[in-house]
Amino acid sequence: MPDDNSINDVILHDPVCLAPVVENKQLGSQTFQLTVAASALADAAQPGQFVNVTVNQFLRRPIGIMAVDRDQGLVRLGVRIQGKGSLWLSQRRPGDQLSLLGPLGHGFTLDGYEQIITVGGGTGVFPLYFVQQICREKGIDSLAVCGYRSQSESILTEEYEAAGCQVLFASDEGDMDVKGHAALALAQLLRQLPPQPRRAILTCGPKPMMQAVAQLAASEKIDCQVSLEERMACGIGVCLVCACKTKSLAAQKQGQLIHARCCVDGPVFQAGEVIW
Amino acid sequence: MVNMAVQVADLTLKNPLLAASGTFAFGREMACFYDLAALGGICSKGITPNPRLGNDSPRVAETASGMLNSVGLQNPGIDAFIRDELPFMAQSGTRTIANIAGTSIEDYTMMASRLDKLPVDAIELNLSCPNVSTGCMLIGSDASQLGLLIREVRQVTAKPLWAKLTPNVTSISEMAVAAEDAGADAVVLINTLLGLAVDWKSRRPVLRNNTGGLSGPAIKPVALRMVSEVFQSISIPIVGVGGIMTGEDVLEFVVAGASAVQIGTATLISPCAGPEIIRQVAALLGEAGIESLSELTGSLEYWTR
Repeated sequence: MPDDNSINDVILHDPVCLAPVVENKQLGSQTFQLTVAASALADAAQPGQFVNVTVNQFLRRPIGIMAVDRDQGLVRLGVRIQGKGSLWLSQRRPGDQLSLLGPLGHGFTLDGYEQIITVGGGTGVFPLYFVQQICREKGIDSLAVCGYRSQSESILTEEYEAAGCQVLFASDEGDMDVKGHAALALAQLLRQLPPQPRRAILTCGPKPMMQAVAQLAASEKIDCQVSLEERMACGIGVCLVCACKTKSLAAQKQGQLIHARCCVDGPVFQAGEVIW
Repeated sequence: MVNMAVQVADLTLKNPLLAASGTFAFGREMACFYDLAALGGICSKGITPNPRLGNDSPRVAETASGMLNSVGLQNPGIDAFIRDELPFMAQSGTRTIANIAGTSIEDYTMMASRLDKLPVDAIELNLSCPNVSTGCMLIGSDASQLGLLIREVRQVTAKPLWAKLTPNVTSISEMAVAAEDAGADAVVLINTLLGLAVDWKSRRPVLRNNTGGLSGPAIKPVALRMVSEVFQSISIPIVGVGGIMTGEDVLEFVVAGASAVQIGTATLISPCAGPEIIRQVAALLGEAGIESLSELTGSLEYWTR
């Protein structure tokens, strides 16, 4: 029968850690990056994964991981203020403790590719920044396309420019490299690139943007992965509220409609699986 | 050493804490975090005769101290449950309770007879899912339909039958009495409360299915009241559920009349809630000098004039 110590015998792996905030840096008017000290999380996290963070509301909030520093045991989260919970998070100061559940989710697949092109729209640039970090670590050639509404609303531009990859910025206003959305900039980029059979496009951002990117990738016969977003509760695959419509790519179930779990089956899916 | 074992009719549970249906899948995900044998039991996701896709998203709306869900019984269907999930559950070292849901009495009798010879420790009859357009909640809100269903299921299986009741009725005691009369071994209460979340800017409900089931601490007072009321109306044991997040909450339900309890939403907030709450219960009983949890069952004493 359990006494105070025996709970440790039954816990195999508690996916929750308490992590102090190290830095809270504002990026744009509605976006900020939180750096927390969480070395186990830094070691385990893969690009495309997220953490479920306790805020001042009932449910946790899923927040994408944008970078890790494994030497220092730091994890950087990119956040957009959308409601009360993210507003509370934007007010956290160094020393404040956060309860983080993670790393969660099926992330991006980089292995097997010789060239990765990330295509991010708006806050989609956060998790793709982590992809660029890993490309450097694994010596994978990479390029980045970042699309925003306007230059004044752009975020992480300096970070991407320092990320060791060719970067193309696009804005709807036309005040950056390319006028138009990220998929348009991608099309332009692809026309300039020499052929590369082992290339993948990894995209994250508003759904219409990702759909346009997926269509372009399909027409060029380039592998493409997308990162979907759904309202979540548990984040660990047991409650089924984060259902996203996908079609099975498995041989026996070709094309079968599934409600996949965005939190464990995704958030990253093969573009061909997504039902737009 | 505190004795945490409890009885739900003829079924002995090593401790009173069960995982509620729909919040634990079939245990595989949770088994990565802790030894499932630490729990008193696990109730499977609700199983239907055929696989169900469930409702469209959004399926969740946060509320004050709770959440609304409109999952809609997404599940692999009875065949896949028996083939792919039950074997795992049966070897997890804790009691396996199969939760079944249907739209007709035949659905329930078909599934119960299939489970009758299989390694399930009890069958929980979902008579209360608010997110399915026909069937279970309607049966659960009509005492004679509910009684008829349980009588029919009783004929096809000797497994312990737990009737999980909906609170969305005028008199839950009437339903509990009907369940007892029809031969149920225990009643489970409560399932979620029917609720609505409104996005005023778009003039639309937040949930794509419009309404959903409210769970979490917000419903605990309603659940406690119903457990207490039903405790005074029937003799079969009660499994209490609704907003339990801590060891204190567990003891409140036991004092109100529950022989065992389930946690659901708590696990969604904190994966290791199960073992942690069990630890808290043991510590509270130890501090209070109570040797056996079951001696607290139904010990609530109402004030009188």
